[in-house]
Amino acid sequence: MAGNYKKLGALLCGLVLTVGLAGSAAAAHKAHHHKNAPGITKRQIKIGGTFPLTGPASLYKTIPAAEQAFYAYINARGGVHGRKIKDIVLDDQYDPSKTVPAVKQLVQQKHVFAIVGSLGTAPGLATWGYLNQRKVPQVLLATGDGYWGNCVHHGCDGGRKPWTMGWQPDYPSEAKLYARYIVAHKPNAKIGVLYQNDAYGRNLLGALKRGLGSRASQIVDAEPYNTTDSAQVVGGHVVALASHGADTFLIFATPAAAIAALATEAQIPGWTPLTILNNVSGNPVFVHLAAQSGAKPDGVISTTYIESPTTQSNLPGMKLAKKIIHKYAPALDQSFAAGDSNIVYGLGTAWTFVYALKHAGKNPTRKSLMKALRSMNTKKNPFVYPGMKIQTSNKRTFPMEQLIFNKWSGGATGDWHTFGKVLNTGH
Amino acid sequence: MTRELVRRLPELVSLAVVAGVLVALPFLLSSYNVSLAAQVGIFFIAVLGLNILTGYSGQISIGHGAFMAVGGYTTAVLSRDHHMNLVLTMVLAFAICFVLGLILGLPALRLSGVYLALATFAFAVSVPLLPLQWSTFLGGSGGVQTSRTVTDLWVYGVAWTCSAILFVLAWLVLRGRMGRAFRAVRDSEIAAVASGIELPVYKTLAFGISAAYAGVAGSLFVLATNGFAQPSEFSVFLSLQLLVGAAVAGLGSLWGILAGAAFIGLLPQVSTSVPVIGSDHGRDVVFGLMVVLVMLLLPDGFAGLLARLRGLART
Repeated sequence: MAGNYKKLGALLCGLVLTVGLAGSAAAAHKAHHHKNAPGITKRQIKIGGTFPLTGPASLYKTIPAAEQAFYAYINARGGVHGRKIKDIVLDDQYDPSKTVPAVKQLVQQKHVFAIVGSLGTAPGLATWGYLNQRKVPQVLLATGDGYWGNCVHHGCDGGRKPWTMGWQPDYPSEAKLYARYIVAHKPNAKIGVLYQNDAYGRNLLGALKRGLGSRASQIVDAEPYNTTDSAQVVGGHVVALASHGADTFLIFATPAAAIAALATEAQIPGWTPLTILNNVSGNPVFVHLAAQSGAKPDGVISTTYIESPTTQSNLPGMKLAKKIIHKYAPALDQSFAAGDSNIVYGLGTAWTFVYALKHAGKNPTRKSLMKALRSMNTKKNPFVYPGMKIQTSNKRTFPMEQLIFNKWSGGATGDWHTFGKVLNTGH
Repeated sequence: MTRELVRRLPELVSLAVVAGVLVALPFLLSSYNVSLAAQVGIFFIAVLGLNILTGYSGQISIGHGAFMAVGGYTTAVLSRDHHMNLVLTMVLAFAICFVLGLILGLPALRLSGVYLALATFAFAVSVPLLPLQWSTFLGGSGGVQTSRTVTDLWVYGVAWTCSAILFVLAWLVLRGRMGRAFRAVRDSEIAAVASGIELPVYKTLAFGISAAYAGVAGSLFVLATNGFAQPSEFSVFLSLQLLVGAAVAGLGSLWGILAGAAFIGLLPQVSTSVPVIGSDHGRDVVFGLMVVLVMLLLPDGFAGLLARLRGLART
């Protein structure tokens, strides 16, 4: 008989658990009704995004913090059409299997109006099918891969994705600029390329080759590395490039690997190539880190599309940025002073969203937001490089298609200094 | 016969209750919570499989996330290249992982304890690197997308149906000769051999069955991720999570495995709303604290707790 008691006990435990679950679910059911325009009420608009707040890619976590600071600043001035912006940031650790439940949580449980600014190519690819199917805007993504623009028109990977768009200049266009620079300044270059062994790295390498045209044969070696490689392994690839006799060194890498590459370069005796660093790793904070581990960054070439908190601190945009960060995200004060361009990046993205929202009508819908995002034309974004435009159309879905070259000087405590004209990268 | 039925009645009733609740849940829960419940179902399958290996045959594995990766990529690639029926890909994932499990079981014959743990750990570390190596076939870090995606309800239904089938399968396997052999191997290998049990057969078999379960879980894991397979989904952390799930589950109880699966399936979501430390940054802290607490309070897992409660009821 005792056996029956024990089973009964187990059964009761189970019942209590399930009743509890069902109860909380029923409560969740009641919480929402706005079927036609989810996430939006008279006084509030709720948006969300996923970012690596922890884990190996968490160097980027100042981006969402800056975005939230900008929304707080806008809210303190009455919001947009009387609505305050509420931005829910969830951590996905740059892992697509965590991005999917996080995005589902944002859409199905928090009922956000749109996914804004989410970071990363793989996380974006894992969720764009789902979001487009549900017609939820997935906009101003923090990644420059070709997917976010070109596929919208050419229908790669599962058809059109009209609810998705990027923000920053796309990577292939950036690589073409580097090709142009080499042809103009070092026509006999022997080129060595370090690239990340994935879609992002190969996109850049492919575009570099196309940009070089008949000179592509001047690439003496291209070394792929994996994001999981240690600094030593990345360093080994750099040594290989040097031993192939490269006198021009292109780094198509994300921050951790780029730092290792710059540090290794300085340790190879007698090797002083022209070095070009792709702009996702060009944050001055990262270059300072590289210098701490022995890199000699003077003369390195890169590109930018946003203002610098350090060299352009006198511009109105950077003064405003400093004020906003100090008031609404004081924890970022120090990184901002050190020149963390990701903060400016976040402010620039948030500004773009607010701009589009203002133009999406007094009672915006998801459709009118997309329409507004697809018809932007302004030079007023105070956080992007002076003179650069935010411009989109139905055919052009990368809002930023301009870059300017910059060169590092001042050694370990130095900074980037732009040179030349603002260049159009559009295809 | 009737006496046997009466004796088993509470077990049958509890099974019926679980089944009834699972059928009712989609009608009660919001669609987001259905996706969470599906996640629990997926982990149920994986923990069930790991339980056969660690609980019954006494071998440890920190590599089951890698079997999930193999299962997941099987589904993703077959769907991408051949538009194969998704359920069929799960059957193939089961078969492929079974064979792979047998093969990985071979070194396990010579290793035990911490050395076996290290060998399986190496497996967990190296498998997610394969897609980067063969990036044209396996998509590199850009991932592989299935040609068809499914709804949360689909994943929920299939996951729990598979759970039921695999649970019955495990019960059939473990109640008879094979289950006794597994337990004999676990308790003393020398005694098992002396009793005429062929050690290599049963040890590799346990690995194979357990890996096959992980393979099915991996297929569903990828389908739940909108049909997108990518290396960083299958990090070593996933394998550790499964091991935690098996430890929380304890040995050989349906409720235990349910608790273990719910623990690893729901806690990361729930822990973000814990006051004070429950931000995104605190998620791993809460998870770690809970694991420590569970291990201190329930050294034999949830199943051990049930056994203790039974003991109390008896006195």
